[in-house]
Amino acid sequence: MKRFRRQFFLGMLALIAATMAALWLHKRFCALPDYAFLTGWILFAVMLVLTFFNARKKLPFLALGKAETWLQIHIYLGFFTVVLFLIHLNFRAPHGWFEITLAWLFALVSASGVVGLFFSRTLPRRLATRGGEAIFEKIPALRHALKTGAENLALGKEAKSPVIAEFYTRQLAPFFEGPKNFWLHTFESRRPVSALLAELDDLRRFTNEAERATLDKLAALVRQKDGLDYHRALQLTLKLWLFVHIPLTYGLLVFTVLHIVLVFGFSGGVQ
Amino acid sequence: MPAAPTILERPQRWDAAFDPDMTDAALDRLLATAPFRDMDAEKFPKRTPLREILRNDSRIRRFRQGEIIVRQGDYGTSAFLILRGATRVVLKPHLPPALLGRQSPGKKGFFRTLAQLWNGSRPAETFSRTRLRQAAGLGARQTKNEVHVFLQDLPRVMDEHRTEQMTGGDFFGEIAALSRMARTSTIFADSDDAELLEIRWQGLRDLMKYDDALRTHVNKIYRERALSSYLNATPMFQHLTKEQVDRVAEQIEFATYGDYDWSGEYKRLAQSGSVQPEKEPVIAQEGDYPNGVVLLRAGFARISQKLGGGERTLNYIGAGQLFGLREISHNWRNKDSPVNLQFSLRAIGYTHLLIVPTRVMEEIVLPSLPKNELPEAIEIVKDELGSQPVAEKGAREKVGAEILEFLTENRLFNATASMVIDLDRCTRCDDCVRACASTHDNNPRFLRHGPTSGSLMVANACLHCADPVCMIGCPTGAIHRESFAGQVVINPDTCIGCKACFNNCPYDAIRMVEIRDETGEFMVDQEMKPIAKATKCDLCVESHGGPACERACPHGALTRINLNNLDALSKWLKP
Repeated sequence: MKRFRRQFFLGMLALIAATMAALWLHKRFCALPDYAFLTGWILFAVMLVLTFFNARKKLPFLALGKAETWLQIHIYLGFFTVVLFLIHLNFRAPHGWFEITLAWLFALVSASGVVGLFFSRTLPRRLATRGGEAIFEKIPALRHALKTGAENLALGKEAKSPVIAEFYTRQLAPFFEGPKNFWLHTFESRRPVSALLAELDDLRRFTNEAERATLDKLAALVRQKDGLDYHRALQLTLKLWLFVHIPLTYGLLVFTVLHIVLVFGFSGGVQ
Repeated sequence: MPAAPTILERPQRWDAAFDPDMTDAALDRLLATAPFRDMDAEKFPKRTPLREILRNDSRIRRFRQGEIIVRQGDYGTSAFLILRGATRVVLKPHLPPALLGRQSPGKKGFFRTLAQLWNGSRPAETFSRTRLRQAAGLGARQTKNEVHVFLQDLPRVMDEHRTEQMTGGDFFGEIAALSRMARTSTIFADSDDAELLEIRWQGLRDLMKYDDALRTHVNKIYRERALSSYLNATPMFQHLTKEQVDRVAEQIEFATYGDYDWSGEYKRLAQSGSVQPEKEPVIAQEGDYPNGVVLLRAGFARISQKLGGGERTLNYIGAGQLFGLREISHNWRNKDSPVNLQFSLRAIGYTHLLIVPTRVMEEIVLPSLPKNELPEAIEIVKDELGSQPVAEKGAREKVGAEILEFLTENRLFNATASMVIDLDRCTRCDDCVRACASTHDNNPRFLRHGPTSGSLMVANACLHCADPVCMIGCPTGAIHRESFAGQVVINPDTCIGCKACFNNCPYDAIRMVEIRDETGEFMVDQEMKPIAKATKCDLCVESHGGPACERACPHGALTRINLNNLDALSKWLKP
């Protein structure tokens, strides 16, 4: 979409310009006596602006602008924060356990943000391509309905095939029991469902016409269950990365405040 | 052995009478009253005799002084004949929204907006007892089957508004009923013994069909009250003189197609998956001689073209749009190479039309149009399959054939503010749902789920329809448009939970919710049944900044869009 391409182009342009300006300013003013304090405060202010995005999400009824604009600012300012962080460190490695922990927290928050951005931009397209939209909270109920349907076909009053009943108990019951193949779905592998469908297909040799019709219905339910697992895996991934990014952000903010207190405590403050 | 089929009586038109309690004595009295006593019963076919029309398509309603009969802005399906007593129509100024049971429009103030910060932990849909009392100036009287809302301070209403009395024998509401337009005035009872005959549109249509006097009377009113102003506002007639407009108005024909109660039928067809263009009533058939230019006054129609054994949708048109002008203009300018209709026009749901006959077009309208306003001549291009004209490409090119069919099949062109989600960008984070809940009593007013076509989803949120069938039959006027052609909103304070709008909505966008008191307990009536209210998306009409759902989407995946106009959708899909 052109709109998103334009957003990307303008964002990148702003990021490159801001980075070049910051590096030029660093080169020119890094010898100033309180330079580390200055860059530290700027870095802290930018980090607070980044966290305000979450506050914006919690206050949707206030006219605080579109979340889309906030996210764009969050993304590009986030990348710029990495530049500011390196400038604040004066491009040297951190030392001491506190500084190293702080640096690690910063790196993990940044990395989880980048991973989240990657997930947000790639997984929705995969979900849409696969089709069969399902609301995450309703997935257990849908899975239960599929399990009941399969159980009735294989073991219900109308079912009269010992071959299918045995196969269901051995192979299909565990498959329908709960979510399956999280990692394989995340990496777009269809190996397990193909194997299961192949096994179902093999049973056709030992079944009559009526039983084959049941096998067809079971195969359709297996495909639906696999689609549901796929949606669960990808939607869960889209939700879980935030459970890494946000707690780490809070940790980083706590360490940052401690860092400021310690710096002022042991330096006597800015004179 | 195959199972025996279930045999039942074929459903008939009058299976559900308007008033099942209509008695023979009441019918005798009606038949002895004007205008029915002057109607020739012999002219009515045996299938639909006059007496049975009255028995099944009408009901007698009684009102006390001050009770509202119809409200300005409401959509109605019936006309009224005053049998006894008097009614009064409010001319100017119109009654304020609060007196009609509607919300006074207005945004939330700063403190009310801020209060949502600490209201977030309250149970959903909390009402205080005082809020549930009727708004000042408006009362309600419960009769056996219905609720009558009345104006409490009637002398003041009469004092502040110009009104006019109508008495026995007067008809009103017939134009709104037949053309499915909003009622233009509020009418209330002006005596305690007001007795009115309410005739639903099917009955009125049949009465007009078989009684010349009634047809002439209604057509005259239509031409006088509605047609001239409508023609004056239509671009095609802009260059005509007043006399010419009057001549056109005299010769225009009216027609209605489809089912007025299409929403119920559509729900049934959609559930069975059998919505097919081939089953829709044909207004004009591809290949036929163009008899006139069709002007859509209300409803929607599908432009389609034969393709193989079926019909492919090329576009849909709504109120104010034309069909057949290009062919008639071509034939007028190219008498040697006339063409027939290039496409078919089919009614979707209910359609009310004006037809300007070809002769009138050629003699009066087309000569008045400047050359640059005449449509281009038709060029018949033979494609590989034969002599079939190449399809009109506009709408299909804009959004693609698949989406066009999808919007038409799901009747989504009715939407003026549908919630469209781009599934390629939606991370299913539900920020839109949470934003909606935060803005509306902790109860989201939509489901992030709905029909999809490719990566396009139209979520289960109120579409704020161009043809809002939900507004038909609300007894208290709680569901209404916020402004002319504006958002459709529900005033929770005057909603009585009758489910009329909930049952009418063909898109399942209205939900009944059980309300709670300040302690979080469900409110119940004397019979210990929970009190419910209808809720739906109100497009955050009270909030600043527009719909919260749209503002809350961090990925730009959700928008509220007018599907009457495909340009907006096309721009959003390919911005």
